[in-house]
Amino acid sequence: MAEHATLWRPRGAWDLYAQAGRHGRREGPAGVTVTPREGLALMSVTAVDGAEDRLAAAIRDRLSLSLPEPGAALFSGETGLIWSGPGQWLALAPARGDLDGLGAAVTALAAVADQSDGRAVLRLSGPDARRVLEKGVSVDLHPRRFGPGRTAVTSVAHIGVQLWQRDDGPTYEIAVARSFAGSLWSWLEEAAAEFGCEMRAGG
Amino acid sequence: MLDRTPDFPSPVREVGPSQKFRTATGGLIDRRRARDFTFDGRTLTGYHGDTLASALLVNGVRLVGRSFKYHRPRGILSAGSEEPNALVELRSGSRREPNTRATMAELYEGLEATSQNRWPSLSMDALSVNALLSPIFAAGFYYKTFMWPASLWEKLYEPMIRRAAGLGRAADAPDPDTYEHAHAHCDVLVIGGGPAGLSAALTAGRSGARVILVDEDFCLGGRLLAERREIDGVSGPEWVEQAVAELKNLPEVRLLSRTTLFGVYDHGAYGAVERVSDHVAVPAPHAPRQRLWRIVAKRAVLAAGAIERPHVFGGNDRPGVMLAGAVRTYLNRYGVLPGEAPAVFTSSDDGWRTVADIAAAGGRVAAVVDSRLDVPVPLRRMAEAAGAQVVAGGQVIGTRGHLALSGIDVRDSYGSTLRIACDTLAMANGWNPVVHLDSHLSRRPVWDEAIHGFVPGQLPTGMVAAGAASGRLTLSDALESGARLGAEAAESCDFRATATATPRTDPESTAHTPLWRVAKPKGKAFVDFQNDVAASDVELAHREGFRAVELLKRYTTLGMATDQGKTSNLAGLSIMAELTGQKIPAVGTTVFRPPFTPVAIGAFAGHHRGKEFRATRHVPSHAWCLENNAQFLETGLWLRPAYFPRAGETDWLQTVVREVETVRGKVGLCDVSTFGKIDIQGRDALAFIERVCANPFGTLKVGRSRYALLLREDGFVLDDGTVSRLADSHFVMTASTANAARVMQHLEFCRQWLWPALDVQMVSVSEQWAQYAVAGPRARDVLRRIVDPGFDLSNEAFPFLGAAEITVGGGIPARLFRISFSGELAYEIAVPAGYGDAAWRAILQAGLPYGICPYGAEALSVMRIEKGHAAGAEINGQTTARDLALGGMLAKKKDYVGRLMKERPALTDPDRPILVGFRPVDPSQRLRAGAHFLAVGAEPSLAADEGTMTSVAYSPSLKHWIGLGLIRRGHERHGERVRAYDPVRGGDVEVEIGAAAFVDPAGERMHG
Repeated sequence: MAEHATLWRPRGAWDLYAQAGRHGRREGPAGVTVTPREGLALMSVTAVDGAEDRLAAAIRDRLSLSLPEPGAALFSGETGLIWSGPGQWLALAPARGDLDGLGAAVTALAAVADQSDGRAVLRLSGPDARRVLEKGVSVDLHPRRFGPGRTAVTSVAHIGVQLWQRDDGPTYEIAVARSFAGSLWSWLEEAAAEFGCEMRAGG
Repeated sequence: MLDRTPDFPSPVREVGPSQKFRTATGGLIDRRRARDFTFDGRTLTGYHGDTLASALLVNGVRLVGRSFKYHRPRGILSAGSEEPNALVELRSGSRREPNTRATMAELYEGLEATSQNRWPSLSMDALSVNALLSPIFAAGFYYKTFMWPASLWEKLYEPMIRRAAGLGRAADAPDPDTYEHAHAHCDVLVIGGGPAGLSAALTAGRSGARVILVDEDFCLGGRLLAERREIDGVSGPEWVEQAVAELKNLPEVRLLSRTTLFGVYDHGAYGAVERVSDHVAVPAPHAPRQRLWRIVAKRAVLAAGAIERPHVFGGNDRPGVMLAGAVRTYLNRYGVLPGEAPAVFTSSDDGWRTVADIAAAGGRVAAVVDSRLDVPVPLRRMAEAAGAQVVAGGQVIGTRGHLALSGIDVRDSYGSTLRIACDTLAMANGWNPVVHLDSHLSRRPVWDEAIHGFVPGQLPTGMVAAGAASGRLTLSDALESGARLGAEAAESCDFRATATATPRTDPESTAHTPLWRVAKPKGKAFVDFQNDVAASDVELAHREGFRAVELLKRYTTLGMATDQGKTSNLAGLSIMAELTGQKIPAVGTTVFRPPFTPVAIGAFAGHHRGKEFRATRHVPSHAWCLENNAQFLETGLWLRPAYFPRAGETDWLQTVVREVETVRGKVGLCDVSTFGKIDIQGRDALAFIERVCANPFGTLKVGRSRYALLLREDGFVLDDGTVSRLADSHFVMTASTANAARVMQHLEFCRQWLWPALDVQMVSVSEQWAQYAVAGPRARDVLRRIVDPGFDLSNEAFPFLGAAEITVGGGIPARLFRISFSGELAYEIAVPAGYGDAAWRAILQAGLPYGICPYGAEALSVMRIEKGHAAGAEINGQTTARDLALGGMLAKKKDYVGRLMKERPALTDPDRPILVGFRPVDPSQRLRAGAHFLAVGAEPSLAADEGTMTSVAYSPSLKHWIGLGLIRRGHERHGERVRAYDPVRGGDVEVEIGAAAFVDPAGERMHG
């Protein structure tokens, strides 16, 4: 299967658009560090009406996480559950295949659909990460209103996104439908330019 | 310097000998930093901290522009954003920016300003002949003059008016700078950084509330920078400096100077524009030129201050006639002397401050004319000490001079006329609170008899007004109300705030008897300077019956210039009140609309310029398409590969024909990832699909796909696609590219609202899967080299309309559907989008031995027309299943969305146009979509119209053009000939009606 190994390599959602390295202002430390989150396992979990409690128990068994309340995201290490709509969550794990079997674990309690390739995810950190996001996100990201463990389904530059905060560094992650990655990056590069933006290699 | 906003490094240089009118000391300018600039090509010098207006005045430049209608010489009236006269072109080339108020333009090294609305030069303007014709150009001139003959409108009148109208020239090259948007949230928004605003920000900020203070100036402080006042024993500017220093130390307070709050919107949303780089020649690297803020605030304190009122007298627009408050601003803040012989015309005690300030700066005052007979004795003594002739109970009735003021004519209380020489006239006629922002939500201001002006009426929810903006015109009131309302605003956001004791201020008087207009003026007495509306125009409007305030506005254009009548509206209303014998509030007032001052369209566009106008979606094969010279087509937000030209192909049709022939003869590959894909699961998933689809699904087995037809509730076709059953209670539905979002929305509506009891879970998986059509007689051969071993692709094991979950590339999960849009033996293979690029390249490589080629949206469309499949041009929201010749597939034994409504009489009328195929009788003729069908020999008319051609293509299979169209009773008319009449493009082709399917009508190939 040597032919397969060379031919069937996955392509990162950001590969075509975001070059690793420094963007925007060159002087001083970068105000924003951007890390493409490639190779994640992502699954949408949609609860069967009335089965939320049993679903919560099944999820706890499988992922050691509770079902987050609306607007909340729960993480255990790099594995998390992010509320994404009434009765809907996005399950996230660091590597493809990490969530295999999730569907079977919640049979008849929820519908699970793989979204690992459907979303392009970026991690934003650094002292100016919030200022960059504020240029595009109309949600209040002030620590009094939004912090680690909070999520919002919103839009940036007319593109639908889901945003959640990982820590109070602050570190944010932003997920966008894969086909929009180029347009989102174009906005981000311009918005972050004044602060200096370090684009890490995918990981 | 008070301005602590980041500044760009600039050289320190001693100033040369110009700046004739600069005071020896004082002012908030930085005398160590000289700034060279040009006005109409002449190089002048000012200081850092000057505006263009103050730098012009300090160099003795009085004439700055020409007026809009009469091209009268105009100077500088004000020192703020209300300026109606001093509009200039700033910068040059691609950065040229017309109609910039010189009073708002911060001086920077190398600033280029050009006067506008004049030809050949500012001092000698040809169109000023309009001034001589002013009796003709009175209000309503255009309405009356250009009425007839109507035929002259387009060719003569409109071009003529357009040439004469307008101020300044827009840049003729794209703006090289960037603009951006930003969002901000706060508990308390303070609008205005004067004494009231700073006090409000301090009390609110100290409580820990999140506060944003916006101010249009580059220095915070408002009138405190312009007046000689004392607060608790320190000067106004020193108090401001302390306040700003404290605010900057409060972590939750954000100060936005150079930022105009231009609009108030519903639910506590505000629009503001920050002039990030307007004060430098070229923005710093990566800095935007301007930033548009959307601010959401729980509470707002409106502390926008007040605007001084001019007097209405003859020649009140002569350069040198200024607002008294502006004269004091130039003197105290910018260190600019008001000429050599200034005079003051006042109707209030406030105007006498001007005299005191000029005297304090060591200047002489030529005269003080107070329209009031009783002038307090100390004021009179102070003026006389400054050398002024005092005329109590007098009125300025006219001005002398041509391009600049040289004297005034004054009528004294005995009726005699005095001539007084002066080169500046300061007008003080009271102040109007800035009621613009609070009336943006259609709330009308109300009359306040105490200040003879309009004050905010019912304010927008969450907004309070403080200081001069609320009609409390004294400094002590501004400090008190600002502090109190700032504290209350914070309290109502659940913070504990206390208003500190109001500071002590020096005594002040608000005594004022407004003089709405001077009786019997000499010459034109202007009301609206920017739109050249004179008192006589208001009289004319009155005579001709345009007395209601909204009619007065539109007939005379009073208040309709870009300044929205900031200095003129009340004067116009007061004259109409006088003429109609009413009180001013009975005349009424117009309301203001956003923006408060003009906002560049670039600020609204922000990032969304050019290709970023809207987002673009790329297909999974995009990288390969870029590498291989694909030509793209925009379909909604998608950029789809349209065709793939090869070397030597010179014409798109040549390429498309080759792609179609390859698919029909060998095999082709097409990216169809743009189709919507909806994952449907749940115990009741099949029941749900039965209800939303018009064709039956009860017999769909696991591993099978079926065509799906969706109707809207009103019986028309919504969309078509496929439904595949992957497992017992797991389905995937596709929707067309154009309708993907709408179908998802429709299904969500059905699930959540119509049948919430069904156990159905839905999610869009459109982006998860890259989906490719592999079509053509060799499709199976190609896929055998792609699909992992173990899966039987034979026709028997995986027949037409089969669906399967498979693996490719050694274990990568994939889905395979045997569906065909082209009519050939065809598959659609779906792989996770991350493997989309790899799969595309792998399939092309696997297909090499079979002569595979990629084909785009154009070839796809040609082949669907050859097969007679309806698409977007036919499923256009106005067609039923029967119209599309799909009536036969409608289910008889179940209920579904649209079932009843499709039976409405008009939708079942046998005369409705039905989808059929058309071929030109003369095969060499080209068909055009959009052509109307007429009987051969019929005269074109609406009544004779039988339908339209919806889609056409050159058919490589038939070697002539073919078309699909909707024509009355089309299914009964095969073989009949009609005209395809297309007068727009000169087409008139005889066509023959036939079956919609032109190629392989029996559908044998796709089953093979």
